[in-house]
Amino acid sequence: MSMLHASHVNDAPSAGTTAPPTASLMRWVIVATLPGIIAMTYCFGLGVLSNIVLAAAFGVLLESGVLYLRKHPIVPALNDSSALLTGVLLGASLPPASPWWLIGVGMIAAVVIAKQLYGGLGHNPFNPAMVGYALLLVSFPTYMTLWAPPQPLISDTLWPQIMGALPIADIDTLSGATPLDAFKQKAQGLSAYQFWASGTLADGTLEAWRFISLAWLAGGVLLLFKRIISWHIPAALLGSLLIMATLFYMADADEFASPVFHLLTGATLFGAFFIATDPVSAATSRRGKLLYGVGIGVLIIVIRNLGGYPDAVAFAVLLMNLCVPLIDLYTVPRPVGHSKGTAGAPR
Amino acid sequence: MTLSFDFPGGIYPPERKVRSSQASLQRAPLPERVSLPLRQHSGRPAVACVSPGDSVQVGSLIAKRNGLISAHVHASISGTVTHISGNDIQIESDRQDTWHTLAPLNWRDTDAGTLLARLDESGVVGLGGAGFPTPVKARVIARHAIDTLIVNAAECEPYITADDITLQRYPDDVLEGAQLIASLCGAEQIIIGIEDNKPEAIAALTQAVGRSQPVSVTLTVIPTRYPSGSEKLLIKTLLNRTVPSQGLPADVGALCHNPGTLLAALNAVRAGQPLVERIVTLTGDAIARPGNYWVRLGTSIETLLTHAGLDTDRLSSVIQGGPMMGETLDTLKRPVVKTTNCLIAATHAELPSGPQEAPCIRCGACESVCPVQLLPQQLHWYARAQEDDKLERYHLFDCIECGACSYVCPSHIPLVEDYREAKSRLRYQQIETAKAEHAKHRFEFRQARLAREEAEKQARRHARLAQTKPSISNNRADAAAHPAPSTMPSANPQADLRSLRIAQSAAKAAVRKAEKVLAREAQQAPHESHEDLETQLATARENLKVADLQLAQARENAQISTEDSP
Ligand code: SF4
Ligand code: SF4
Repeated sequence: MSMLHASHVNDAPSAGTTAPPTASLMRWVIVATLPGIIAMTYCFGLGVLSNIVLAAAFGVLLESGVLYLRKHPIVPALNDSSALLTGVLLGASLPPASPWWLIGVGMIAAVVIAKQLYGGLGHNPFNPAMVGYALLLVSFPTYMTLWAPPQPLISDTLWPQIMGALPIADIDTLSGATPLDAFKQKAQGLSAYQFWASGTLADGTLEAWRFISLAWLAGGVLLLFKRIISWHIPAALLGSLLIMATLFYMADADEFASPVFHLLTGATLFGAFFIATDPVSAATSRRGKLLYGVGIGVLIIVIRNLGGYPDAVAFAVLLMNLCVPLIDLYTVPRPVGHSKGTAGAPR
Repeated sequence: MTLSFDFPGGIYPPERKVRSSQASLQRAPLPERVSLPLRQHSGRPAVACVSPGDSVQVGSLIAKRNGLISAHVHASISGTVTHISGNDIQIESDRQDTWHTLAPLNWRDTDAGTLLARLDESGVVGLGGAGFPTPVKARVIARHAIDTLIVNAAECEPYITADDITLQRYPDDVLEGAQLIASLCGAEQIIIGIEDNKPEAIAALTQAVGRSQPVSVTLTVIPTRYPSGSEKLLIKTLLNRTVPSQGLPADVGALCHNPGTLLAALNAVRAGQPLVERIVTLTGDAIARPGNYWVRLGTSIETLLTHAGLDTDRLSSVIQGGPMMGETLDTLKRPVVKTTNCLIAATHAELPSGPQEAPCIRCGACESVCPVQLLPQQLHWYARAQEDDKLERYHLFDCIECGACSYVCPSHIPLVEDYREAKSRLRYQQIETAKAEHAKHRFEFRQARLAREEAEKQARRHARLAQTKPSISNNRADAAAHPAPSTMPSANPQADLRSLRIAQSAAKAAVRKAEKVLAREAQQAPHESHEDLETQLATARENLKVADLQLAQARENAQISTEDSP
C-alpha cells in the first residue's frame, strides 16, 4: 500500500511539480481568478465585486444548508472551497450589479440542483456555475443581456441595482450590450466596417473586453504553471474555436466576426481556462479532454454565429458535459501490453 | 551500455536510500530461536517433515515442497525443533551453528537436470518480492525460446538498498549466478538493468562485466524513475519489447531475476548451501544503526530491529518491503522470511498518515503517472460502485499495483486499496462460479488415484506370480480374475503394446501441459492460490503412473509370450 504521498514529501526530486491537494487546488483556482476579477472591476465598477461576494456567500450558505439536511459533515466539504469557487465563477459571469435575488436563484440552481442533488463534489455531471448561468439566461433574459458600458468604480445606481429596487426600464437606459451582442444585433446588410464605424458601442467597450480577456488569460497561465489544469482542454478549445471562426470569417467577413474578435470578447478565455477545465464535469482521459475541448470550441462558434444567443460558452460547455460519458467510453487508452486490436474501446 | 527505451508515466518519489546504503554490510547476530513459516513462497505451503524434539543442523530439510508451485524449507540455525503448527516450525538454538550442506557442484560441468534438482532441493525462490520458486521459473522457460536474461537491479522503491549492497559486495558472484541461470534457460545475452542512483554498484559491475563469461553481459544504466523495476516496464526499457497483457516475460523471450536470487542460486550450487539466510535492509528514522544485514530466515523482526537500535518511542509504523508496495506490519513478532527485502521502522514525521480522503475530482493526475496507461480515476469510480463489468473493460487486471496513482492523487484516495479489494472480490466470484468445476476435478483425481493404486496392486501381484509360477496359463487366469483396464493380454500383444505406448505418451503430454498451465498461472498471479490447477496436475501425474505401470506390465507379458512361443 502506498504509504508515501507527494504532498507529504519535501525531499523528493519532484517536490513542487505535482498538483497541490484538492482543497488547496480549488483555492488556487480562486486565486487565479483574481486578475480577471480585478480587471472587470476596474472596467465595470464595484458591481462586479458585489456579484462575486454575494454569489460566494450564497454558495457557502446553500452548501452548508444542504449538507446539514443531507446529514453530511459540513466542515470537510466546505474546506474544499468548491462552493466558494462556484460562486466566484457564476458571479463573474453575471452582468455587473445584478440584483441579489437573481444571484440567489442562480446559486440555488448551481449548488443545490446541479451539485448537491447529484451527490456533491465529484458527482455532478454538469458544471454547476454554468447550470446556474443557463437557467438565469433562459428565465430572466432581460436581466442577463443588459450589460452596462464601462463606468467608474462606484456608480450612483449601484445600491438600488443590487437591492433589485431599480425598475427594469431604468436599467435598460443605463445598459448597453456586450460587443458580441451588438455585433449579432447589427442591421442586416450593414458591413462589418460600417458597424464598427457606426459607434453603436460606447467608447472603450471593445478595449475593456480585450483587457479583461487578457487578464483571464494571465490567470489561466498561472493555473497551467501550477499544474492545476492540464493544457489539453484550453488548447483544444481555443484552437478549434479559432479554426471555426476563421472558416466562417472566410465565408462571409461581413456577416461573421473575425477570429480575433471571438477570441478576445465575450467569455472565451474565461471559459477556456476556468469553466471548461472543471475536472469533475469534463472528460477524464487526455484524449477525451482534447475531444471535449474541440467540441466546446466548435459549439461556441456555431451557437454564436448561427444560434440565437450572443455568447455561447455556457451552452457549449453544458452540451459537451452531456457528451462526457460517451467520450469517456470511447477514449479509454490502450493499456501497455494490449495489441491494437484489443484497444481500450468498449467491448 | 546499450540504449534504453521509455515507458509512460512514472513518478519521482524521495529516494531515502542513503542512510542504509552508507553503512557496510554486516551479519546480524545468530538468533536464539527461529520461527520458520511453511509458506515463504508463492503457491502451496511446504509440509513439515520433522517432529518436535528432532535435532537439526543449519540447512537440514525440515519441510518438503508440496505440489509444483511450492518450495522446501530448511533449518536456519542448529538446535532442536520445539514446536510445529499448521503454519510454522520453531527451532531453539544450540549455539553451535553446525551446518549440513549438500555436495558442492561445478555448474559448468554438471547437467541441467542435476542443477535444477539442486535448486529445488535448496528451496531457492525469487528474493525480490513474490517468492516464486526459481527452479519452476527455469523450467517454464524451457518451453519458450529465451534469448535474454535480465538482472533486475533497478530497485526503484524508496528506502531499499539490499540489491545495491549485494551488487557492491558480490558483483562477480551475482554475475556467476546469472551465467548459471542463463545456461539453464539458454539465454544468449545477459543484461543488467540498474537505475543511475547507484554509482558504487555500477562501478563494481563495470569491472565485473568484463570478467564474466561465457554469455556476454551488458550493463544498462537507466534513469531513476519509479516504477522502472517492475518486470514488464524493465523489459520495455531494456529491450523495447512489450510483454502482452496477461502474458509473461518469457512470451517475449526474456527472463528476469533479481541479484539476491542469483546469489542464492549460485550458493546452492557452488557451496551446496540451501537458502537459510538473506540480505535485509533495515532502515527508517526510528532505528539508530540502519544498514544491510545478513539475516538468518526466521529471525524475529523485533529482535532484528532492536539489534539495529530501535527507538520504540519514536516508532510509528514498521513496513515490510518498500513504502510504495510494501505492507504495514501489525505486529513485530513476525519472522524474516525468504521474501523480506526491507524493513522500515518509520517515525511519524517521515511517513505521516494522509489527511482524510476527499472526493475524486477527476483531475487526471493519476492517469498521467500510470505506467500501464490505465484510467485510475475510472477504476476507482467503478471499484467503489462495484460495477464489475466496467472494471474489466477498464482493464483492472492490468494494474500492477505500483501505487503511483495514489502517490499523486490530490484527494488522497487510497486507490490501490480499492483495486486490491475489487480484484480479490472478482477473483472470489470466479472461484465461486468454478466450484462445481473444482469438485469435478477433485473427483477425477480420486478416480485416478484409485486406478493407480489398483494398477500398483496388480503389478505387485503380477511380479509375485511371475517369480513363483512363471507359467503362462496361470498368469492368464490371474489376469482374468483381476481385470485391470487394458492389462488383459489380448490376441495381439504387439498391437496392445503399441496402443499402451501411445496412451503413455499422451499421459506424459497431459502432465507437461498441466505443469505449463499451472506454472504460467502461478507466475502471473503469484499471490493467489492455484489449488484447482495443482489438483489437475496431480490427476495427470496419477494417470501417467497408471499408463507407465500398464505399459511395463504389457511389455513383460509380451516378452513372456514370445519366450513361450518361439
Ligand atoms: S488523482 Fe485522485 S482526484 Fe485526481 S482523478 Fe485521480 S483519483 Fe480522482
Ligand atoms: S497502481 Fe495501477 S492504476 Fe495506479 S498507477 Fe500503478 S498500474 Fe496504474
